[in-house]
Amino acid sequence: MTEAISAMALVFLDPYLIGLIFLTTILGVVIGVLPGLGATTGAALLLPFTLTMEPVHAITVLATIYVAATFAGSITAILINTPGTSAAAATTFDGFPLAQRGEAGRALGIAVVSSTVGGIFSVIILCIAAPLLARVAYQFRPPEYFALTLFGLSMLASISAGGAIKNLIGGIFGVWLATIGAEKSTSIERFMFGNYELYEGLSFVPVMIGLFALSELFVQSKTVNSVMNRVAIKAVKLPTKEDYKKIWATILRSCGIGTFIGILPAEGATVASMIGYSEARRWSKNKDEFGKGAIEGIAGAESANNAATGGAMVPTMVLGIPGSGTTAIILVGLMVHGLRPGPYLFTEQVGTVYQIFGAMLLANFMFLGMGLYAAKYFARISLVPPAILWPIVFALSVIGAYSLSSSLLDVWIAVIFGIVGFFARRHGFAVAPIAVGLILGEMVEINLQNSLKMFEGDWWLIFTQPLAALFLVLAFLGLCGPFIFSKLVK
Amino acid sequence: MQSLRIYLIPFLIAVFSVVIIILSLQLDESPPMIVGDSMQPRAFPIFLMVLNLVLVIFLVLQNQRKPPEPIKLEPFATWSSIALMLVFYLVTRYVDFFIAIAAVIFGMCLIWGERRWWVVLLTTLVTPASIFLLFDQVLRIRFPRGLFTNWWYS
Repeated sequence: MTEAISAMALVFLDPYLIGLIFLTTILGVVIGVLPGLGATTGAALLLPFTLTMEPVHAITVLATIYVAATFAGSITAILINTPGTSAAAATTFDGFPLAQRGEAGRALGIAVVSSTVGGIFSVIILCIAAPLLARVAYQFRPPEYFALTLFGLSMLASISAGGAIKNLIGGIFGVWLATIGAEKSTSIERFMFGNYELYEGLSFVPVMIGLFALSELFVQSKTVNSVMNRVAIKAVKLPTKEDYKKIWATILRSCGIGTFIGILPAEGATVASMIGYSEARRWSKNKDEFGKGAIEGIAGAESANNAATGGAMVPTMVLGIPGSGTTAIILVGLMVHGLRPGPYLFTEQVGTVYQIFGAMLLANFMFLGMGLYAAKYFARISLVPPAILWPIVFALSVIGAYSLSSSLLDVWIAVIFGIVGFFARRHGFAVAPIAVGLILGEMVEINLQNSLKMFEGDWWLIFTQPLAALFLVLAFLGLCGPFIFSKLVK
Repeated sequence: MQSLRIYLIPFLIAVFSVVIIILSLQLDESPPMIVGDSMQPRAFPIFLMVLNLVLVIFLVLQNQRKPPEPIKLEPFATWSSIALMLVFYLVTRYVDFFIAIAAVIFGMCLIWGERRWWVVLLTTLVTPASIFLLFDQVLRIRFPRGLFTNWWYS
């Protein structure tokens, strides 16, 4: 415990880390305000740049991008009715109408304060819940891990975009991608087609860059000629006493909702903000105001989406199961730096883990300051012409894909997955399930194999293990998740 | 046209799944003493694709109940941006990686509607150059040999 607290405190005392978090927060806010880029694309683009850093610095960069970009999506959501990230989509419902009424500063002030409270709340929960969950996870053996990963995959059914069946198909495609290369226990080559660079399997980084960054480039090419309505802003205003009276209960409720949704494997800030918004509306005395500039709507969505960031880190760090698209990239970052996510991370790398948590906490304070004093300047960045921005994203993507192992094959993999991701999205398939499937694929197969060895081939004995059975029941419930979530959102 | 929207994507997924099952059946078998009580390397991909085929049936049923919305044809910028990837491959393969990146940036700037020549040229030259210098000088990454890199490294 002392080691954990001192590791967190170290972040606030280390000038290098403070400087790094400050710069990354600025970068995260810039990424967040650029429509289309978002936390996931930003993290995918920056991942190759972190390869030469110390593990703790690298993950700090990625985690800071995650929290800062998630918050910053609200700036464009409020000022130009275009969410910088999908997680800020619910913020447009009331943020933009309020801005159109000439209260853009008030709308941004509420968004900044709600996001900060949500983010700080979730980091505190992360610090408490992660080690507790890690203690439980020490008891996990292959059957439990197998059931847990199935649970994680089943939760893909309830990711907001796509639809349950399409998400599951995407997830299975991702798991299949993980089978490419030499099979781990027998070394038999699968789907390599004579290409020995694929012996170790598909590299995660180029696939992530392709799915998230390059596919987004093709999607954004559709918006080349779109004209944005921009609301001018003089200064961001802190919420008044009356505002706080109106929104404090909403913020607290959304903090709980956001953190809980974030902890669920494969769910993320987008789902959290939608539910946070709809719950704010359900509990509000002024339901008619929603959609016309209700401050509770902004507070509900913003505190929930930022609360989901800390929540999503819990399964990522403790179980190695990503809580969202961005945490899938952070997970890849952990692996690339030799930090194997799982319960043992909390005994073997306590310092590193809590420094990352401390960095997330500090990033929340930093974007509070930036949001209050520099939001109007950041908003101007959204005016960068797409014809300049996206070619630069292309260059960063292909060089990022190349730099991991100095292989042109990785560049082609990124380009191919960019095109695959674009066509998948064109036909209503989300790309996040493919990424999550790819990450969990190896875990599913290895733990199934080890479970079969453990039970001498009697696969049904997996069901006799209480924790495994619990996860399998949860997986079943996870498949019914879309229906439950759609009811909740309604 | 509506039936095409309902069945085309499920059909393509089904074909993909069947092809993978056929490929999986051709994979080598591992001796029983290595596999033990576990499964053959082919079993897991086959299981996945069978699961996919089951989901395809559900997808068809879902599409029949609620046919997918017609997909709008993407603008010129989208298709030409995808076509630029082919240009990128060819120029990388036969000329140089960085010249290919510059060519794609140049083409993309114009296709996406940038008409100020100095901006196009500046983006085309400054972006690859600064990224190259960052990766080459700071991150110490060697890039594949080509027209430009041969000159630089020599």
